[in-house]
Amino acid sequence: MTLLRQIRYLTLRSIRARWLRFILSGFGIVLGVAVMLSISVTNRAALNSIMRLFSNTSGSAKLTVTTSSQSTSGFPDIVLRTIRNIPNVEVASPILHITTIAADDASPEQIAFGLFGTQGTGGLTLHGIDPAMDPSLREYKLVTGIFLQDNSTKREVVLVETYAVDKGLQVGDWLEIITPNGVESLKIIGLIAREGAGQINNGSFGIIRLLAAQELFNRTGELDQVDILTTDPNPSPIELDTLKNNLQLRIGRGLSVTYPSSQGERMTQMLQNYQIGLNFMSGIALFVGAFLIFNAFAMTVIERTREFGMLRTIGMTRNQVTGLILLEAGALGIFGSMAGISLGMALARGLTTLMGVILNQELSFVEVPFNDMFFSWTAGVFVTFLAAGIPAWQAGRISPMEALRVRGKSGEGWLISEGWKLGITLLVISTVLLIANPFPFDVQFRLGSLTVFGLFSGATLLIPNTVHSWEKITRPIIKWIYGASGSLGSRNIQRSRQRTTLTVAALMVGVAMVIMTRSMTESFAGDLRNWMSAYIGGDIFASSSVPMRSDVGQRIDSVPGVEAVAPIRYFNVDWQTADGVEQINFMALDPVAYARVTDFVFSDDNTNTEQVVQRLQKGNAILISSVLSEKYGLKTGDYIELRTRSGYLAFEIAAVVVDFYNQGLVVQGTWDDMKRYFRINDASTFFIKVNEGQSIDEVKRRIDDLYGKRYRLILISNTSIREQALTLMDQAFSMFDVMALISIVVGSLGIVNTLTMSVIERTREIGMLRAIGMTRAQIIYMVLAEAGLIGVIGGVLGVGTGMVLARILFIGMTTMSGYQLTFVMPPEGILISLIAAVIISQIAAIFPSRRASKVKILEAVHYE
Amino acid sequence: MSILKASKLRKEYQLGEHVVEALKGINFEVKQGEFIAIMGPSGSGKSTLLHLLGGLDSPSDGEVTLGDAHLSQLTEYQATLARRHNVGFVFQFFNLLPTLTAEENILLPLIIDGKNPNEYEERLNHLLDLVGLHDRRSHKPDQLSGGEQQRVAIARALVTEPAILLADEPTGNLDTRTGTSIMELLQRSCRELSQTVIVVTHDPRAASYAARVIFLRDGNIVKEFKPSSKTPLNERMSGIMSTMQALES
Repeated sequence: MTLLRQIRYLTLRSIRARWLRFILSGFGIVLGVAVMLSISVTNRAALNSIMRLFSNTSGSAKLTVTTSSQSTSGFPDIVLRTIRNIPNVEVASPILHITTIAADDASPEQIAFGLFGTQGTGGLTLHGIDPAMDPSLREYKLVTGIFLQDNSTKREVVLVETYAVDKGLQVGDWLEIITPNGVESLKIIGLIAREGAGQINNGSFGIIRLLAAQELFNRTGELDQVDILTTDPNPSPIELDTLKNNLQLRIGRGLSVTYPSSQGERMTQMLQNYQIGLNFMSGIALFVGAFLIFNAFAMTVIERTREFGMLRTIGMTRNQVTGLILLEAGALGIFGSMAGISLGMALARGLTTLMGVILNQELSFVEVPFNDMFFSWTAGVFVTFLAAGIPAWQAGRISPMEALRVRGKSGEGWLISEGWKLGITLLVISTVLLIANPFPFDVQFRLGSLTVFGLFSGATLLIPNTVHSWEKITRPIIKWIYGASGSLGSRNIQRSRQRTTLTVAALMVGVAMVIMTRSMTESFAGDLRNWMSAYIGGDIFASSSVPMRSDVGQRIDSVPGVEAVAPIRYFNVDWQTADGVEQINFMALDPVAYARVTDFVFSDDNTNTEQVVQRLQKGNAILISSVLSEKYGLKTGDYIELRTRSGYLAFEIAAVVVDFYNQGLVVQGTWDDMKRYFRINDASTFFIKVNEGQSIDEVKRRIDDLYGKRYRLILISNTSIREQALTLMDQAFSMFDVMALISIVVGSLGIVNTLTMSVIERTREIGMLRAIGMTRAQIIYMVLAEAGLIGVIGGVLGVGTGMVLARILFIGMTTMSGYQLTFVMPPEGILISLIAAVIISQIAAIFPSRRASKVKILEAVHYE
Repeated sequence: MSILKASKLRKEYQLGEHVVEALKGINFEVKQGEFIAIMGPSGSGKSTLLHLLGGLDSPSDGEVTLGDAHLSQLTEYQATLARRHNVGFVFQFFNLLPTLTAEENILLPLIIDGKNPNEYEERLNHLLDLVGLHDRRSHKPDQLSGGEQQRVAIARALVTEPAILLADEPTGNLDTRTGTSIMELLQRSCRELSQTVIVVTHDPRAASYAARVIFLRDGNIVKEFKPSSKTPLNERMSGIMSTMQALES
């Protein structure tokens, strides 16, 4: 009851009396919680979508058999008989994966890129299935027509309804597709809904009979995948594991038996680093929110010093006074976090769409799980309590004698006067920790994040002792911009150093986030540009949605204006490392042709290209990426074992190259080795170099005219593909930009809060200034100047800490991931951040300065 | 019967490198229902004395006894409770909560003590009668005049029926007429409620309402002035003024 009465008489009344500040500081927590929730929901939507992509492909299969080296050659269908004879296997359903395009499609001009490897094919995915078995594993919801009946070579197709509608096709029509043998027709006998398996390849999907698929695509007797259902529909994990081992034993090492879900896990892992980054940024937004709350409560305590003194005098205990503040914090935390959750759900929708673009996937907005909501809410309430903790404690320490003083005392504590010592210590410790990174086990970067907070806190503690110098240095400029009343305003920031410190700090963190994001983006972009000019070597990049025989390259080579053509083939390969088997990508190239078209990008500048090419040509040699070299401590001359068609074989490392393909998990080998050991003989892409003086567009057009249609070539100039990749990367980083922007918005709310407070506190003084002849405009300039100085200090410190942090995180990321990037600090980014900080400070000052200018002189001089 | 006793009360402050002795061993006693004024020039130690008597601060040496409690031996928490139950405060700047109405401000000490204010309706009405604010009970402080605010503060100080009421310059922020009415109010509470009142003031007119005036200079009690109850107010005032002039010269 006592508590309720205190809430009624003191807490609620105080909130009502300071509702504007309550709401402003509430925004900090609202935005923090919203960002946290929306990021977690977006991440979940991304993960769900990836997992669903794989579960759609494998349906209710308990186990999946695929080839270990995923070359297009697949594996012989005799394996199917072996699998079916194994006890406990109920159904073994074969699939042949086909990627093609409809013949009437205009020449595709886009290559679908995905930063995280989920590139959509841009074409049509067909599954060759056994109609008697597959529907027991996968859900096909027939909308019209009939489903495939028997497994024959009959050329019929069932399409996803939305795809058919897009193409203006219906049941009974003929679908013309491109095959290695030219255009072939399939009769559409049914349409399925875009649900379950119908979601494969974003709905650009159809099913045909296995035998027909094998015949059409020259792959008779081959399979890409076998999905298995067990006799017991719900086998125990142990039973399933036994069956898996049994299967693996019987079908041999060339094939691998996996749990369907594990296919999605690899991609999930790739996404993880990105998501850790996003979580970190959302944590920072909440941290800035906490600053705002701390500041608001610290102001409240100073403002109410005499009130608390009086309450202490008439018998309120220290705990009761502390409790009063905590009650207010509780109300703020509870309601602010609730509002944050609502905003978070709205924000999540936007971010999910953005993430969908980044992943090149249609992400469906999943229901927000109660757990996430509860976690974000609890985090919001907890952070609010934590932020209000120190002011609440300070309120409890207020001496009852404060009630007897004429004016409330704004005493500056130890942290303000001596905090710089702790600040320097924190800065040194956290910088050392971040550079040394003694937490390699902490993949979630939780401890690292704490260290970053340490760095910010350290920088914050240095502010109070430097405020005076800042003011002195900027005085002439302030005077020049805002006039004499401006310099009066900028001097005011020294009057409450605690308040100034926290406001500057909140802005500093926001600006630091922007600097960090921008420098990371620029660093990546810079290296991506260099690497891409080699990776997509030459001037024109040719690919196709159907397999290309290597003689296509010879034909392109004969086109006038073409200087050289280099074929490239990517496929997956198993690598026997000390820890087990890792699947990496093998990029096969013809070293001589490749060197003519583009340059090898060696991580060691002193590498002799000629020697490397010679070594490669001798065979059984590869180049490894710097990522692998760093990750496994491998160097030139070492050997690695790759699984070939005839078992594991050692390849010598001829050199280390910079290559980001497949997240850097890539080796480069020769075309001859690929043919000999992996029995692959088709190209994924061709790099084309144009003769000097020839127009790239002209040569591109010539190739397109001659072979474009016949081989379904996608021709794209090196420059435009680079732009595509950079746009994609920008989109990926735009998520971070959103977070950084929110941090800055929260920071600017802090400025509004501080200035409003400082205007209220100085009402009498402002009245006096007006009385002795200061105009309203001068009063406005005075407040704007104060805000401007806060903006300048926050901006400069933010740029400083942001640069340090970006540099440190950059080093950490390079060591952890193996990416060898060149650090870039964009000068225009720095300038823009500084200007943005000042502009934001001026916008934030509009309301408080107007309020100050409207102070009524007579009332103000009587203001107590 | 003595209700408050100060013995050998000393208080030192550290001011930079200097030690300032604000009180130099003060002894005095206050009886139940007494009305005392403490006077003295600036820096004489009168405010320090009030702080020590109210348990707001602890002495460097000596003892303050309030009823049976030795204030200087209490913990911070015990001292808070002692203030809550036994001491009423009236300040120069009223110190009302701007967010509460007059009657809520009066009831505040009870609310802090966890009491149900509804059960104190009778006491509230009695106090509103005493301070003459029945018709202003629902007004917020900013709707009240200075004098009215100080009346609310006095009612708030009396609501717990404290053993002593300490007032620090209660008329310092008021005009002469309002100040007079406040002092009359304190006198009435002393007479009608047998309330012990100690007022610190530098205003001889305010001090003239007290039954005993204690003069301080440089941390010592230098004189006591105890006029007979029949002495007219202006005579008391001139007596006090001449003593003050003598002390300040």
